[in-house]
Amino acid sequence: MKKIYFLNFCFLVLAKLGFAQQNTTVPISVNFQQVTIGQFVTELEAKTGYHFYYNSIQFDSLKISVEVNNKPIETVLDIAFKNTDFHYAITAQRQIFLTRGREIQTKLPAGFFGNKPGVALPVTNQPITVTTNATVADFTDEKEKKVPEATTENKLYEIGTRTNTIQPGKATLSGYVRDGKSGESVVGASIYVTNTKTGVATDQFGYFTIVLPKGRQILSIRGIGMRDTRRQIVLYADGKLIIEMQEQITSLKEVKISAEKVANVRNVQLGVNRLDIKSIKQVPTVFGEADVLRVVLTLPGVQSVGEATTGFNVRGGSADQNLILLNDATIYNPSHFFGFFSAFNPDIVKDIELYKSSIPEKFGGRLSSVLDITDREGNKKKFAGSAGIGLITSRLNVEGPIIKDKTSFIFGGRITYSDWLLKLLPEEYKHSQASFYDLNFDISHQIDDKNNLYLTSYLSHDKFKLNSDTAYSYSNRNINIKWKHNFNDKLFSLITTGVDRYQYNIASFDNPVNAYKLNFDINQTNLKADFTYYLNRKNTVDFGVSSIYYKLHPGNLQPNDVKSLVAPDVAPAQQALESAAYVGDKYDITDDLSLSAGIRYSLYNYFGPQTVYNYAPNLPKTSSNFLDSTTYSKNKVIKTYSGPEFRLSARYNLGDNTSVKAGYNTLRQYIHLLSNTTAIAPTDVWQLSDPNIKPQYGDQVSLGLYRNFKENTIETSVEVYYKRLRDYLDYRSGANLVLNHHIENDVLGTQGKAYGIEFLIKKTTGKANGWISYTYSRTFLRQDNANEGELINGGAYYPANFDKPHDFNFIGNYRFSHRFSVSLNVTYSTGRPITLPIAKYEYGGSERVFYSDRNTYRIPDYFRSDFSMNIEGNHKVHQRTHNSFTLGVYNLTGRQNAYSAYFTQQAGVISGFKLSIFAKPIPFINYNIRF
Amino acid sequence: MNKSKYIWYLFVVIGVVISCKKPYNPAIVSSDNHYLVVEGVINSGNDSTIINLSRTVKLSESVSTQLMTNYTVVVEAEQGNSYTLQSEGNGTYDIGPMHLDASKKYRLHITTPEGKQYVSDYVEVKQTPSIDSIGFIPKSNYLQIYANTHDATNNTRYYRWDYSETWRFHTKFQSSFIVDGGAVRIRRADESIYYCYASDKSSNIVLGSSEKLTQDVIFQTPINTIASNSEKMELRYSILLKQYALTKDGYQFWENMKKNTEQLGSIFDAQPTQLQGNIHNVSDLTEPVIGYVSVTNVQSKRIYINKGQLPNDWIEKYPYDCGMADSAFFSHPKTGYNDVLYYIIQGGGIPIDAIYGPFGLLGYTYSSQGCADCTIRGKVKKPAFWIDN
Repeated sequence: MKKIYFLNFCFLVLAKLGFAQQNTTVPISVNFQQVTIGQFVTELEAKTGYHFYYNSIQFDSLKISVEVNNKPIETVLDIAFKNTDFHYAITAQRQIFLTRGREIQTKLPAGFFGNKPGVALPVTNQPITVTTNATVADFTDEKEKKVPEATTENKLYEIGTRTNTIQPGKATLSGYVRDGKSGESVVGASIYVTNTKTGVATDQFGYFTIVLPKGRQILSIRGIGMRDTRRQIVLYADGKLIIEMQEQITSLKEVKISAEKVANVRNVQLGVNRLDIKSIKQVPTVFGEADVLRVVLTLPGVQSVGEATTGFNVRGGSADQNLILLNDATIYNPSHFFGFFSAFNPDIVKDIELYKSSIPEKFGGRLSSVLDITDREGNKKKFAGSAGIGLITSRLNVEGPIIKDKTSFIFGGRITYSDWLLKLLPEEYKHSQASFYDLNFDISHQIDDKNNLYLTSYLSHDKFKLNSDTAYSYSNRNINIKWKHNFNDKLFSLITTGVDRYQYNIASFDNPVNAYKLNFDINQTNLKADFTYYLNRKNTVDFGVSSIYYKLHPGNLQPNDVKSLVAPDVAPAQQALESAAYVGDKYDITDDLSLSAGIRYSLYNYFGPQTVYNYAPNLPKTSSNFLDSTTYSKNKVIKTYSGPEFRLSARYNLGDNTSVKAGYNTLRQYIHLLSNTTAIAPTDVWQLSDPNIKPQYGDQVSLGLYRNFKENTIETSVEVYYKRLRDYLDYRSGANLVLNHHIENDVLGTQGKAYGIEFLIKKTTGKANGWISYTYSRTFLRQDNANEGELINGGAYYPANFDKPHDFNFIGNYRFSHRFSVSLNVTYSTGRPITLPIAKYEYGGSERVFYSDRNTYRIPDYFRSDFSMNIEGNHKVHQRTHNSFTLGVYNLTGRQNAYSAYFTQQAGVISGFKLSIFAKPIPFINYNIRF
Repeated sequence: MNKSKYIWYLFVVIGVVISCKKPYNPAIVSSDNHYLVVEGVINSGNDSTIINLSRTVKLSESVSTQLMTNYTVVVEAEQGNSYTLQSEGNGTYDIGPMHLDASKKYRLHITTPEGKQYVSDYVEVKQTPSIDSIGFIPKSNYLQIYANTHDATNNTRYYRWDYSETWRFHTKFQSSFIVDGGAVRIRRADESIYYCYASDKSSNIVLGSSEKLTQDVIFQTPINTIASNSEKMELRYSILLKQYALTKDGYQFWENMKKNTEQLGSIFDAQPTQLQGNIHNVSDLTEPVIGYVSVTNVQSKRIYINKGQLPNDWIEKYPYDCGMADSAFFSHPKTGYNDVLYYIIQGGGIPIDAIYGPFGLLGYTYSSQGCADCTIRGKVKKPAFWIDN
């Protein structure tokens, strides 16, 4: 910046000099028709002997037409630059400076600019050239001009067909922000217009659309891991702009929780947290594996039943009420190793977004939250890769262009070699095997300016075998194709189709007579079309339709040995179609008040072939109340559920840095995970809603206060919520959930309520950064309907398994230098509820215990702190490889947190035990190499 | 099919290096209620029926049960006969073989001295097939005992077993002397305390089901495991296995009790749930009563396992630390004290062998009761059923 001012200053001085010492010059004759500045200058230099100085970038869009005979050079230049904001200055040294600097303008004679009265110009400090004559020179670009690629800060880009007069009113600027080095789109970059104080963030493909007053505007652009930059534009009419940003080379980037520094205040949505992979990687985790889901657990309002468990609970919802999307593909099991690691490769993931309250209307099908995980796009300019070695896994990823600047791929793979861990175990476990891997392969292709195609695929696989007795394996398989099409600057569409699958199988072969294999799988085929229409500056309309076809095989038991007597048992396949149509409008009523209102109508059809049991009305659905059964043929609609879902939120600004928001939303869920264990297991089965299993329904009201301090570098928020759940599934005593042909006999519809208050303070920049969150929340369930079956705790409300009232998290990172930083992570929460015995007796040759009402007591509170150091190799940009180390300690204080507490009989006597995992400080080291 | 068990193992596998299990005694939680506990099987066959009545006690109490005597216990047929059991004290009520009609249903009717009435549901008579065989397989560091059975009519499907084990063992040292009347004398053969018989009862719930099989066959279902260094297999071991057929409801009750009290700890295990037996307070259906009464003809079978049938390298671990036998002299060479009097006759040491010097008896070797007296852990008298090989 300083250099520019200095240059301008020089021009200014020289210009003054020039005006003062102007001499009469030799008349010349020229005839220019639509020539570039280069041709123009070369010819004039040849004819006059003057030397021209100018910045060619500033003039590159200028086309000059002048025809004169025997006129001085001043006249030629006057005509050439008439009605433009280009200026010239001639010095006595026969130098001509061509400029378009604003400083010079102020020195020019008054009246040079005819400011048109009555035109509502944008509030701007810069004068804007407005002339009345629009016919003299035609400087318009070619009709089919290329979308300008805005790469530099100091150039003025023209948007729309150039006119000499800037018409009053507004125009739509749409475009695309990409990384200048890799060509990848920059997701969530904020484009903020200083003049109008409006802003927009790029979507998941790097696209944005903003409506602005016509005229000259300065766009401030900020993106995660990108150097802040700005672009100067003159907006004549609707148009497009590609913005290239430069990567921040400093490898120890600031923690940026939110892409948009003011987003938390300005956004209409409540309860949204976005994290990029850089901040995820800074958080120390067990064994040093950067773990997306572990970091999600540190966000306010997110809890789990215990460390190293699959799944998380958002605002009192159960783990199956989270929609986990990886590039829009539904991931049914997000964990490896039964919950020890999350199944997402940190080298491929770009960022995550968690919606806890304002769930956009385009999402549906789960009650509690949407966790949207996005992969990076491959590098479009050159081949690159990285590899990492940790205690448990090795990682490799490769990316690069297939067609330069158009098509790129990214491949990521992780594989475990944890068998060494098993070898350390006592004899009885030594022959166990455990392994997992996951693969990501994505392609993105730009067909043309208006069309993009994306292919994303994911495969994860886990295998575990215990002493050649029983083998388990489970796998996620996802593939989808997205087509993004821009109809025009205002209407965008995204069409997605794909297939998601989750499967597991169990095989037992030790006892030949009982040897069996059991398979489960769930498949969904998705098709959805999402549209965004920028109606005008105040309204952005989203609408679309989606459809999911489910095919679920709840269990297939087969003998696994010729001697096996296991009777084949196949629970009949379930099939259903879940469709939805939605429309939502984000309406900026005033600059301070915005409303986002959406409605989603979901329609669920459960199809044959199926035999459905009918039960006596108003009696528990048990075998004793069984009346008869109805058999439905293929594709016959057995049951339809439908209903509207409302998504409302509003924001009111209380000044520049403060806002209040309120929201209300309702959701429906047609698919249920059957799990009567405390934590979900990979071998739990999913169940579709059918005539006997009602869909779950939930609604939530929330209210939030947001305030940023110190120029938006410190973000604070307080949110309160109250939530109700209906027809949540609980289980009868001794329920059998696997291969149960009539699951309604073993489940109970339960009601739930949850409420809480969440505090969050984030510091996003500076040497010290991180966040502190505290949540007070309660979650209660109740089964008080005798028609459903047994009452739990006499029909009173009881705390859910993950009801942990106090939850505190501190995530901090301090950067000592660009090559060395330390991270500290502190977690405290109330112990989760458990059911404890209250009496004992003797039975079956042993002491036994009699349990209290459900979840009346709690395990001890949880506290853990982790520490890590990140050491980077040297920071030369141009070197073959970049290295980095992470080492640290998990559970620094070695506190033996209760993972579970239980009472069990050993040798006929009941005793209580507390089990702790990770009960000691666990050191870890990770080595990463980038090439 | 027991997924939670295996997942739990996995969990141990991964967590064992760094995890730890510690005793946990939360602040005393207790209920003042004492719920009735009914245990026993109505034997429809050729053996006696024994019913035990007790009540739950607080967790904090040192006793683990409270036995109920002076109740009235009657087996009632759905239509017709009733059989009153006789109180044997200690909460035990019994009656000899009743030879019940397998086509009828029966229930248990309990009346407390205060007049409270408890009845079980009427339960069908389930026929228990005989035990086909009991076998054993030596594994790397334990012996697996298993059972086979089947029902050709495919009607049984649900099974429960319990067992009592008996084994012959000997002490570390064989005592040849005995203290009698303030003096040490030679121990007679009928006073031997070297070989004894000990017994134990099953404390785990053992269940099996052929529900998912095409035939009602139970093949090598695990019954019991014995550590390879257990004293139980030092000489000769015997197990008496009893087999009970269960109804599906009965099976679920036992399975639930097993889950609630034996398979907890992992968060992948089912949470504790209410135990729903088939016994109720007639006037208050909400009062918890623990127990499930079933009616069946109990089958039993006994096998013996000899030391010679087991791997040679299995060496039993003696439960006491014995070392070498100590020596006691009539006159200690250095101190001159009468150690025989001091350590054996008065001190309770068991004299083992005589110590002779050039001039005759100098004293005795001796050891502790644990190392020389088997009667502290068993009985010398051979059980009536015991058959030597």
